[in-house]
Amino acid sequence: MRFRIGIVVILMLTLTLLRHGVSSALAGGLAFVVNSNSASISVIDMSTRKELRRIPTLREPHHLMLSPDGKSLLVGDTAGNQIMFLDPATGDVQRRVAVADPYQLGFSPDGKFLVVNGLARNQIDVYEPATMTLIKRFPAASTPSHLAFSPDSRTVFVSLQGSDKLTAIDLTSMNPSWTEPVGPTPAGVLWLHGKVLVADMGDDYVAVVDPASGHVVDKLVTGKGAHNLFLSPDNRIVWVNNRAGGTTTAVDAETMKVLRSYSIPGGPDDIAFAPNGDLWITRRFAEKVAILHPETGDFETIDVGRSPHGIWLNPAARGP
Amino acid sequence: MDDPFDLIAGWLHETLLIPLLYALGLMRWEEIAHGWALFAVYGAVQVVATLAICMPLERWRPIERWNDKSAIGVDVFYTVLSRVGVLPLVTFVLFYQAQVALNGWITDHGWIPPMLERVVPALLGHSLLTFAIYAVILDCADYWRHRVSHQLRWWWALHSVHHAQRQMTFWSDDRNHLLDDLIAFVWFGVIALAIGVPPMQFPVLVLVLRFIESLSHANARVSFGVVGERLLVSPRFHRAHHGVLAYGPRSCNFGAVLPWWDMLFRTADFSREYVATGDPSGDEAAATGSWLAQQRSGLRRLWSVLALGRRAA
Repeated sequence: MRFRIGIVVILMLTLTLLRHGVSSALAGGLAFVVNSNSASISVIDMSTRKELRRIPTLREPHHLMLSPDGKSLLVGDTAGNQIMFLDPATGDVQRRVAVADPYQLGFSPDGKFLVVNGLARNQIDVYEPATMTLIKRFPAASTPSHLAFSPDSRTVFVSLQGSDKLTAIDLTSMNPSWTEPVGPTPAGVLWLHGKVLVADMGDDYVAVVDPASGHVVDKLVTGKGAHNLFLSPDNRIVWVNNRAGGTTTAVDAETMKVLRSYSIPGGPDDIAFAPNGDLWITRRFAEKVAILHPETGDFETIDVGRSPHGIWLNPAARGP
Repeated sequence: MDDPFDLIAGWLHETLLIPLLYALGLMRWEEIAHGWALFAVYGAVQVVATLAICMPLERWRPIERWNDKSAIGVDVFYTVLSRVGVLPLVTFVLFYQAQVALNGWITDHGWIPPMLERVVPALLGHSLLTFAIYAVILDCADYWRHRVSHQLRWWWALHSVHHAQRQMTFWSDDRNHLLDDLIAFVWFGVIALAIGVPPMQFPVLVLVLRFIESLSHANARVSFGVVGERLLVSPRFHRAHHGVLAYGPRSCNFGAVLPWWDMLFRTADFSREYVATGDPSGDEAAATGSWLAQQRSGLRRLWSVLALGRRAA
C-alpha cells in the first residue's frame, strides 16, 4: 500500500512539474532588444526575463519593425549598410538585404511603401517592400531620425533632428509637401487624432503640428529633453520618454493632459507594450531594459548589451 | 555581462553632459557627446591602468635614473591630449563619417562594402576572432607606416620628435608631432576603411593593445624571454628601436604590438640590450622643449628638408 501511495505521489509530482514546464514554455514570448554599440540583438524570454541568446549583426543596428504580413522582423544595421530579416517567432535570420544607412524603418499603413531614414547620410529612402527596390531618395538636411505616417498612407512625416524641422513627403506624388520648424532637436513623431505630435529633445515639450501646413498649433510640456513617444495599444495613452529628465510621462490621448511621470534613469528611449500592461523601455546609457509597471510605478531591469535602442515584443512566440 | 567603463561613460553622459547640453541648447550634439564620454572614459582607464602597472615597473627595475625629469612632463601632456582629450573624438568622428559616406556610396551602387565578416561569413558572431584578425592586419599596416616614416626624409623630420626623447618612459608612446599623427590617422583610416574595421565594438581590446604600446616604451629592464619577445613587443625590443645609433633609416624593430613583421621582413634585432635613447641628429628643442617648442622644431626640420630638396632640384 505504502509503495502504491509513493508511486501516486511521484506521478502527481511529475505531472505537476511537466505541466509547469510546458506552461512556462508556452507562456514565454520573446523580446527583441537591439544593442547598438554591441552590434547584436538580445533575445529575451519574456516570462523568465532571461536573455536566451544574442544575434550578431554586422556593425551598428538601431531600430526594428515588423513587416505588414507579420512574417519578418526587419532590423536596420546603419554602419553595416544592411537590413536583416528575422523570423519573429524564433529570431532566426531569414535573409539580409544591402541598404545604405538604414536607421529608422517604417511601413506605410497600406503596406505599399517601406520608408528608411538614413540619419548619417541625410537621406530618406522609399522602397517597394516586396522587392526592396528603391523608388525614390529624398535628400534631407539634416539627420532625419524618426517617422510617422498619416492613416491614409498618403504622407510620411520625418523629423530632421539637426535642423529643428519636420518634413512631410507626399507618397502619392513622391514629392516633398513641406518642411517646417517645429522646435529644437525634434525626434519622435506620432500621428494622433488628425495631428502630428513631435517630441522636441532640445526642450521640454511635445509639439502638436497641423499635418496640412506643418505649423505648430500647440505645445504639451512633458519633461526635459522630450525624445520619443508611443501610443498604447488601446489608444488611450501617449507615452513620452524624456531624455534629459530621465522620465517617462503618461499623457491622456483624448484630453492631452499629463497623467503621471515615472522616473526611468539611464536615457529612456524606445518602448514596447506587453499584453499585461507593462512597458518595456530601453535605457540607452545603462545597458538595461526597464519593465515598468504603470500601476505602481515600480520597474524591473534586465541586463542587455551596450546602448540598447530598438525593442519589439512577440508575446506569442515560443522561442527558438 | 555589464561593461563597467561603458556604464561610467553613460553615467557621466547622463549626469553631466546632457544637463549641460540641454542648458546650452545643444542637444543635437547629444549622440556625439556620448561618443566623447566613451572615448574619455576608456582613455582615462588606459592612462590609469598604464600608470598603475608601468610606474611600479619603472621604479622596480629602471634602466636609467634621472635627477631632472622635467622632459617627461611634456610626454604626460601628449598622453592626456591624445587619449582623454578631444583628439580621439575628432579622429573617430572623421573616420565614422568617412566610413558612412564610402560604404553608403558602395551600397548604393550595388556592391558590398568591404568587411571581413562579408568575405568570411563564418566570422559573424565570433567577435573576438574577428577583432584579432583586424588587429593583426592593422599592426602589419602600422609596421609599414612606421618603417616608411624612417625612410623618407621629410617624414622623418616629423617623426623624429617621437625619437628625440632621451628620458624615454611609458608616457613617451603618444609623443608625436601633430602632422605625424595626422598622417598616421589617414594611413590607418584608409586601411581600416578598406577592410571595414568596426570603430566602436572593441574598446576594451583596443585598451589592451594601447597598453602594450605604452609598456614597450617603459624605462624598465623588462624582457619577455626568448619566446615571449618573439610573440609580443617588449620594452627591451622596442628600446632598440629608439636607440641613439638607430635613428632615421638605420633603425630596427618597427613593430608596435607584434614583432612578427620585423622578423618576417628582416628588420628585427633581438641582440641590443637596453641602449641609450634619443635622436642625435635633432635639435635640443625637440628633446627638452615645451610641447609647442617640439611642434615648432618638427616643422622647422620639415621645412629645411623641403627647402633642401628644392635647392637640389
